Amino acid sequence: MDLSFNEADEQFRAEFREWLAANLPMEWRERGFWRRQGEAGFEMRRQWEADKAKAGFAGIQWPKEYGGRGGTPAQRAIYDEEMVRHRAPLTVNSLGLTFLAPTVMVIGTDEQKRDIIKPLLHNEVIWCQGFSEPNAGSDLASLQCRAELDGDEYVINGQKIWTSNAMHASKMFGLFRTSTEDKKHRGITMLLVDLRNPDGSFAPGVDIRPLKQMSGASDFGEVFFTDVRVPRSNIIGKEGGGWDVAMLLLSFERGASALPQYAAFRREVDDIVELAKTVGRDSDALLRQKIASSVVELECLRYHSLSVLTQVEQGKELGASSSMTKLQWSETHQDIGELFTDVAGLAHQVSGDGLDVTDLQQSFLWSRSETIWGGSSQIQRNIVSELVLGLPR
Amino acid sequence: MYFALTDEQRALQATVREFLADRFPLSAVRALYDDEDGDGDPAELWKAIGAQGWLAVLVPEEHDGLGLGLLDAAVLARCWGEGVVPGPFLPTLVAAEAIRLGGTPEQKAEWLPKVAGGEVKLTLATEVRRASRTSFDDGKLTGTIQHVEYAHVADRLVVAADGGRLFLVDPKGPGVTVTPTETLDRTTRLCDVQLASAPGEPLADPALPEVLDRAAVLYANDLAGVARAAVNRTVDYDKTREQFGKPVGTFQVIKHTLADLHVATTMAEHAGWYAAHALDAGLPDARLAVSVAKSKASDVAREATAAMIQFHGGIGYTWEHDAHLFFKRAKREEYQYGDAATHRERIARLVVDGD
Repeated sequence: MDLSFNEADEQFRAEFREWLAANLPMEWRERGFWRRQGEAGFEMRRQWEADKAKAGFAGIQWPKEYGGRGGTPAQRAIYDEEMVRHRAPLTVNSLGLTFLAPTVMVIGTDEQKRDIIKPLLHNEVIWCQGFSEPNAGSDLASLQCRAELDGDEYVINGQKIWTSNAMHASKMFGLFRTSTEDKKHRGITMLLVDLRNPDGSFAPGVDIRPLKQMSGASDFGEVFFTDVRVPRSNIIGKEGGGWDVAMLLLSFERGASALPQYAAFRREVDDIVELAKTVGRDSDALLRQKIASSVVELECLRYHSLSVLTQVEQGKELGASSSMTKLQWSETHQDIGELFTDVAGLAHQVSGDGLDVTDLQQSFLWSRSETIWGGSSQIQRNIVSELVLGLPR
Repeated sequence: MYFALTDEQRALQATVREFLADRFPLSAVRALYDDEDGDGDPAELWKAIGAQGWLAVLVPEEHDGLGLGLLDAAVLARCWGEGVVPGPFLPTLVAAEAIRLGGTPEQKAEWLPKVAGGEVKLTLATEVRRASRTSFDDGKLTGTIQHVEYAHVADRLVVAADGGRLFLVDPKGPGVTVTPTETLDRTTRLCDVQLASAPGEPLADPALPEVLDRAAVLYANDLAGVARAAVNRTVDYDKTREQFGKPVGTFQVIKHTLADLHVATTMAEHAGWYAAHALDAGLPDARLAVSVAKSKASDVAREATAAMIQFHGGIGYTWEHDAHLFFKRAKREEYQYGDAATHRERIARLVVDGD
């Protein structure tokens, strides 16, 4: 056991802190700042993140040839941790950064590597992911959105749903059914689709509608395709090989430690503790037990993340055990949401009036989505029981 | 950054597991369990483990020990939990820590080499809430301490009395009455210790809080081992046990429960290693880590061993099946050195009150 970071990693931390101190305005770190910015906040974040990338603080683990920093997994973890600690804004291009770019690095053509990675890193192109459909959620392989070959182009008809960032993205990487002849996993192809014209209007045949969530926000959208034409060269991987590409793509999430979630949720617990003091309930024995339970689960999440980080640094394949990480952080975050409502009582319903709990309200509601997206808790438990414990199907 | 056991620690773990499977499998645990007149102290196992040098793990080299850390001792505790190993091993390690941390140079020189050589058995006599009720006056201790592990076979008791001071007491000396009790979990024996003006030899330093933290970590690791064995054994059984024409392990309600228990057990395992390391390295969050580890392991071991009974069906409730060995040990250790709720309140004092 040695939980210290080496000198090079600590040097990186110092450099990044210095950059953040100089480039992250103090008012941006205040509670509720981004909520108050509304739509204008997106452009501010897009630009800030692009500047950060140009300063060398993006694509931490990516090779330098792709504009990355060529850093270590530990530096990536430090980067994530410092971002949360400084209350830096979340990335506006998370799906592209997490999934598309690493996939293109592995299986993209030279043209795709050149055209996709750097513009993505510099936020010149914002990406969304088109996987889920109304009838293909947990059962992703039953997707029906068609892409039919017509000469050198595919013609797409159908619908995607729960598309994160659809309202801001100009391009989509999506899974489409290119054959109904083959077995259902085999007839799927990953294609890159332009959703918007250069002026920001929808591309021909594309329609995007926001989905209003139970929180009132619209982080997801629906994307409709009517005879949308895509050049055949926009395939990632092989025609009919989309399922394998999707599995490769999703594997890039697995190496990620949950240290950022830990840092963010621990701060929420701190806010809830402050709230308990404000409302005079910090000596309530039952609430103290509940607060401590959340701290126990969060600290366990941190230890687990350190273990994951060690395995990644040793080059070990994490495989299905990453489902444990997802279960631990998403379920714990829901418990923290309940902790907030238990501490606030009926006051959790009403923000303002001397008690601003809007952030905690939003986080509480959002936590209900976290056990669904990215593989529901039920799917994660299937994976753990079958692939980790070896229980029969 | 390296959060994992070292190669040496892994080798130790493999050696201990192999040794126990060979020399003290569950059939041997059961023999001791069923021996109604026995003292619950497996003499051959004690000798063998002493000979392996494992009791020397925390004893400094200057006292003929290995001078290793609590993490190494936690590796042993984890293995003992997996094998529901009976005997005064953890009590001896914990009481020896009291002497190492609080003893005079003479006390250390007298007792620690004997601990390292497996020549003496020790135990810590403390009920945290009652510690102050045992009084010390003119070199003599008076009071009653209940639920002291293996006091009936111990060569010395380390008694916490007089508001947390520590004393060495000869259990066979004048004024000491040790009465073994019938314990539900027969992988230990709990005794009542009556002190009536019993001679007590004070240790030099008030090391009790530190000793209790280290004990909590060792028992947390034992519990993590119990939980892991319960999950693994249940998974193995449910892969083959058939009802309605298929293995019961195909049913999602069982799969998902076992998946959750696997996740929770894994978290308890991480927490057990982390807390041991935090104390070894003097990390600033060591006290928090101790309480996280003990509360998590207490809860998980209870749930995992209860599921072990449930997911074996009727056979799991029988005396002849091994499930109750794990269930009863988990239940006993849940309350040793602070139950989950006690440790959560301590976490609340750290996090809410800023103590």
